[in-house]
Amino acid sequence: MAQLTYRDAVAAGMAQEMRRDPSVVFLGEDVAAAGGVFKTTVGLLDEFGPKRVKDTPISEQAILGAAMGAAMTGLRPIAEIMFSDFFAVCWDIVVNQIAKARYMTDGQITMPLVIKSGNGGGARFGAQHSQSVENWAMAIPGLKVVAPAFPADVKGLMAAAIRDNDPVLFFEQKSLYATKGEVPDGEHIVELGKANVVREGSDVTIVALALMVPRALKAAEILQEQHGINATVVDLRSLVPLDTQTILREVAKTGRLVTVEENPRLCGWGAEISSIVAEELFWDLDGPIVRVTTPHIPLAAANNLEDAQLPNPERIVAGVRQLVD
Amino acid sequence: MNVLMPQLGETVTEGTVSNWHKKVGDKVAADELLFDIETDKVSMEVPSPTSGVITKILVPVGTTVDVGTVLAVIDSGAAESAAAPQVATAAAPAAATPPPAAKAAEAAPPSWYAAMPPSMSSAQPSMGSSGPSAVPAAAVASSASAHHAARSDQLRLSPAVRRLAAEYRLDLGAVPGSGRNGRITRRNVLDFIQSNKAGPQAGAAPAARTAPPVADLAAARSASAAPAARAPAPSPAAGPAPAGAKTLPFTRIRKLTAEHMVRSKATSPHVLQAVEVDFARVDSVRKTVRDAWKAKHGHSITYLPFIAHAVCEALHDFPNLNSSVHGDSLILHEHVNLAIAIDLGAEGLVAPVIKHAEALTVAQLAGAISELSQRSRSGRLKPDDFASGTYTLSNSGTFGTLITAPIINQPQVAILSTDGVRKKPVVIETSEGDAIAIRPVGVLAQSFDHRAVDGAYSAAFLDSVRKLLENGHWVVEV
Repeated sequence: MAQLTYRDAVAAGMAQEMRRDPSVVFLGEDVAAAGGVFKTTVGLLDEFGPKRVKDTPISEQAILGAAMGAAMTGLRPIAEIMFSDFFAVCWDIVVNQIAKARYMTDGQITMPLVIKSGNGGGARFGAQHSQSVENWAMAIPGLKVVAPAFPADVKGLMAAAIRDNDPVLFFEQKSLYATKGEVPDGEHIVELGKANVVREGSDVTIVALALMVPRALKAAEILQEQHGINATVVDLRSLVPLDTQTILREVAKTGRLVTVEENPRLCGWGAEISSIVAEELFWDLDGPIVRVTTPHIPLAAANNLEDAQLPNPERIVAGVRQLVD
Repeated sequence: MNVLMPQLGETVTEGTVSNWHKKVGDKVAADELLFDIETDKVSMEVPSPTSGVITKILVPVGTTVDVGTVLAVIDSGAAESAAAPQVATAAAPAAATPPPAAKAAEAAPPSWYAAMPPSMSSAQPSMGSSGPSAVPAAAVASSASAHHAARSDQLRLSPAVRRLAAEYRLDLGAVPGSGRNGRITRRNVLDFIQSNKAGPQAGAAPAARTAPPVADLAAARSASAAPAARAPAPSPAAGPAPAGAKTLPFTRIRKLTAEHMVRSKATSPHVLQAVEVDFARVDSVRKTVRDAWKAKHGHSITYLPFIAHAVCEALHDFPNLNSSVHGDSLILHEHVNLAIAIDLGAEGLVAPVIKHAEALTVAQLAGAISELSQRSRSGRLKPDDFASGTYTLSNSGTFGTLITAPIINQPQVAILSTDGVRKKPVVIETSEGDAIAIRPVGVLAQSFDHRAVDGAYSAAFLDSVRKLLENGHWVVEV
């Protein structure tokens, strides 16, 4: 097992699949010669050449239009939207074309397409380059939505997303790029739609995604050491498919649910999970469901303000104590 | 000790206190009658769970509360006197006292909400409305805090705690709470159960967790939700009662009966058909077992169990009458669950059910009918006794009626009235010619739902019942 950064794991997952399947191609802004603005695709151009790894003009609509056409005609493209905020300028292609083609053609056309994108805050990029848009994607029927927290999952989920015959939005959390972790050597696949119980506890179940997972784990340590509260932490890994089985099982064990979401509060993914849990597990709940989220305001660029907005271990601890004490 | 609203049956979630036999300050002995409750299906008397002095009555007569709600507090000795008043005070109805200022912080909007600029956050309650918000944020906050103050955390039981309390029939007053402000947590209840080695009560909540059979559901729905929803508005009252007239307000059971009758007539096109039955053969069997039966059971064997038996047998051949109409289809029930209408005088009319009546002998049916009527009269019917009836017998015969046109017991499709059996001259046809004989004769009258079956089917069924009664080889094991 190698220690890889989250950033390197992106390229590792893509390279694994590009070696295996010549129909996998990659396109995006500054992804080839520059190796990506976040350096997540370094080395791919050298290994797979300019026919399979392409720089594009600065047009998100052109990138996704080309990727969609390639997917419809037999390739398995990976497209990069540099900042997930930019989905706003190419959302029609994602929502009205890519997500629906398989359904509207009665399955005659599949869309084996991955759109990878830098998502989320914490990197001081300001309101227009820091949003967590996973809840936008989750709201569109026909899209799969993946957002890993650890390098091993980045590699494994990227590989699974590429092999999947449906469009997958693959969200890389930008502040996690420098984090390191053990990544299995050789072929590594993590099935889509399987949540991971990353910490087992008995008092409360914290459900988190991407950057919020390490923060929830940190909060769980504080809760254990300072407050004697033993928390389970579930890393969802993907929002669609959603692993309701694991969520319901882990919430039933403790009778308490706290969701930790980086997306803004209103209609964040935790609202959907709260609704499912309230509907399915009402009689097992030992207290109200608590959601810790970014407030419903655009993110600030100033360091101290951005830090105050994103859920951090202290706020997670407070949310849990509000429920458990 | 807290006195709780008991679980009255699998499908019952709330009850109405209809009478307190004691008042605050009264002494009460364990098992002494304490209060009466009514649900939409049954009324029952509840004895005191303990001896002591009643210190609080928290739920006044006529109030409907959830199962598990604390109804009263009994001080059963010095040991509990410290805890009980605390609970009682906390449960007092919405306090008129405003929340202390220190509590105001708790009532403030959540932080994510407060973080929004005022222009966004005050519009929050009515997102999208362009005008100024109808409810200022401050008003929302203060009413929310009053609500907080009115309910004690100790009595704010989580769903998990409520479920466990119902499953294990726990008196939560005895469970120490370790949560905020002494709230009882799931862990507290589990620890309490562990230390007391209590087992879940058979038939209590575990059964309630599994979905009830469809028939039960339908019955429960039609018994509770539907009347109000579906009953056409009754014609308005003719105005104030004339001078000198006396007004009798409907009891709960009268009201429910009224609603059910109006709804049944509105739902099912009723058709009445009747046959005259010669009960000579049944009578001769009754005579042969009369003395032995009476000696053993303390009452005579009536015509009713014979009729019930014949009906069950005939329903086997005419299953469309043992059914319910669901939309555009007829649901044929697997078993005959025979509802028996029992008159309770001023208490009204009830129709408890003999489940799987088709499997019973005449003697067993007689036993079941007698048992149900005794329990009805002593108010000991359980809500489940009313569930899932598929056909109803209504017996007016004891008053010597000639014929009764009964109203169908929804969601069933037919009901049979048994009227008076009288000696009458009857023409008997024999090979030697016709003769006149004196025979016990009575009318069986069936109302059926014309949506479900037609007249010929119903008539053939009645003919079958008649033949079974007139020609059956009855054996009654005493």
